[in-house]
Amino acid sequence: MRRWRSNRRIFLAVCLVIAIGLIVSSRIGLLSPAEGLASAPLNFISGIFNRISLAVSGSVGDLADIETLKARNADLEEALVKFQAELVDLREIASDYQRLADLLDYTSTAKNQEYVTANVIANADPNSLLRTIVIDRGARDGITVGMPVVTKQGMVGRILNVTANAARVLLITDPTSAISGRLQTTRAEGSVVGQLSGDLNMMFIPLDATVQQGDLVITSGLGGNLPPDIVIGQVTSKRQFEFELYQEAVVRSLNNFDTLEIVLVITNFQPVDLSVFDNNSANGGQ
Amino acid sequence: MGSFISIPILALAAALQASVVPQFSILGGRPDLIFMLTIAWALNSSLEEGVVWAFAGGILKDLLSATPTGTSVVGLLILVFGVHFVRQQIYRVSFISLVWITLLGSFFQQITILVIMFLTGFQPAYLSTQGIEPLATDLTYVIFPTMVYNLALMFPLYWFVRRIQKRVQREKPFFS
Repeated sequence: MRRWRSNRRIFLAVCLVIAIGLIVSSRIGLLSPAEGLASAPLNFISGIFNRISLAVSGSVGDLADIETLKARNADLEEALVKFQAELVDLREIASDYQRLADLLDYTSTAKNQEYVTANVIANADPNSLLRTIVIDRGARDGITVGMPVVTKQGMVGRILNVTANAARVLLITDPTSAISGRLQTTRAEGSVVGQLSGDLNMMFIPLDATVQQGDLVITSGLGGNLPPDIVIGQVTSKRQFEFELYQEAVVRSLNNFDTLEIVLVITNFQPVDLSVFDNNSANGGQ
Repeated sequence: MGSFISIPILALAAALQASVVPQFSILGGRPDLIFMLTIAWALNSSLEEGVVWAFAGGILKDLLSATPTGTSVVGLLILVFGVHFVRQQIYRVSFISLVWITLLGSFFQQITILVIMFLTGFQPAYLSTQGIEPLATDLTYVIFPTMVYNLALMFPLYWFVRRIQKRVQREKPFFS
C-alpha cells in the first residue's frame, strides 16, 4: 500500500482511472440513483442561496434603476396612448380571425397544452461552459426528458435529465442546443443555435428571405422535438457572408435567463422520434 | 482531519457556485470556487489530502452540473499532483508562484473540462457548421474572464484556507 502511494506516477494513474471510471459510469447512467440522492441536499441549499441572491440583486438593481425607470415610464405612457388605438383595430381583426378559425374547426395547439409550474432552484450551471438551470419538479410530477420549458416571454429550453423531485433544463442559449425556428413575418426557416454570449444564432436562412431587425423568431415544429409557434426571440441583426449559400441572424431571447424564477413545463407534448426513419433508410428502406 | 473538513466546505462552495456566483459573471466568466479552494488547500497539505479535496470538490461540483460526474475531477487531480511537484521545488509559496499557479491552473482546468465534454458528447452544435472560429471566440468569452476572476479571488481564499489549515493542525489528534 505504502509502496504504490510513494510512487506518485502510479498513484496519479490509479486516481485518473477512478475518475474516468466515474465519468463513464455517470454517462451510461449507472450512477443516476446515487447522483439523484446526493444532489438533493445540494439542490436544496443551492435553492435557498439562489432565492436570497435574487432578492438582494433585485433590490440593488431597483434602487439603481429608479431614474431610468422614471424616463422609461414617461416614454411608455406616450406609447400607450398610440397603441390603444391600434389595440382596438387588432381586437376587431382577432375576433374576425376567431370566427373564421371556428368555421374551419381549427384549434390552436397552444390551447391544448398542459403545463406544470416549476420554481428555478439553480439558475446557472457550476460549469461556466454550459448553460443549464435546475427546477424543483421531477419525475414525481410527470416530468420526462425532452419536454419543452417556456415562460410567458417564450422558449426557455428542454428537459435534459430528471431526478425524483428535480430536473435539469438545457437552455436554448447553451452551445449544444439547436432548435428549428421560423421568422414569423416571412416564414423563412432556419436552425437556432445557442451561444455562450447569451445570444442565439439563427443559421441556414435562405438568401432570398427578408430578415429585418425586430422580427420575431418562433419554433417551427420541424423535427418533432418541440411544438410549433413558441416565441424563441427577436432578431437584433443579420449577417450575410460573400459566397455563402445561406444568411444568418443574431437573435435575442425575450427571457432574462439570469433572473428566471418560475417556468412552465409543457407536459403533454410528446417529442417525435424520427430516428426510426434513419434506420429504415440505412437498411435500404426495408 | 483536513480530508474530513473538505466535504462541508466544498459542499457550501458548490452550492454558492450554482446560485450566487453566476450573479457576478463578467462576460461568460465566473470565479471557480472549487478550483481555488482545492488548489489553495493542496499548496500546504500532503498529496493524499489534496487528492481527497480534488475528488470531493470535483464530484460535488459535477453533481450540480449537467456534465457527467467526474468531469471536473480529472483536471483537479492533475493540478493537485502538479502543485505537489512545484511545492517540492520551492521554499515557500510566494506571491508570484500563486499568480502563475492560478493562471495556468485555471486555463488547464477549463480546457480539460472542455475536452471531456467533447469526448462525452457535449459537442456544441455550431462546431459542425462554422468551424473553429466561434469556438475560439467563446473560449475567450469564458476562459480568460474566469482566469482573471480566479486570480483576483485566489489571494483572499488562500488566506482563508491557510487559517483553517493552521487551526486544523493545532487540533490534537483524537488518538495519540
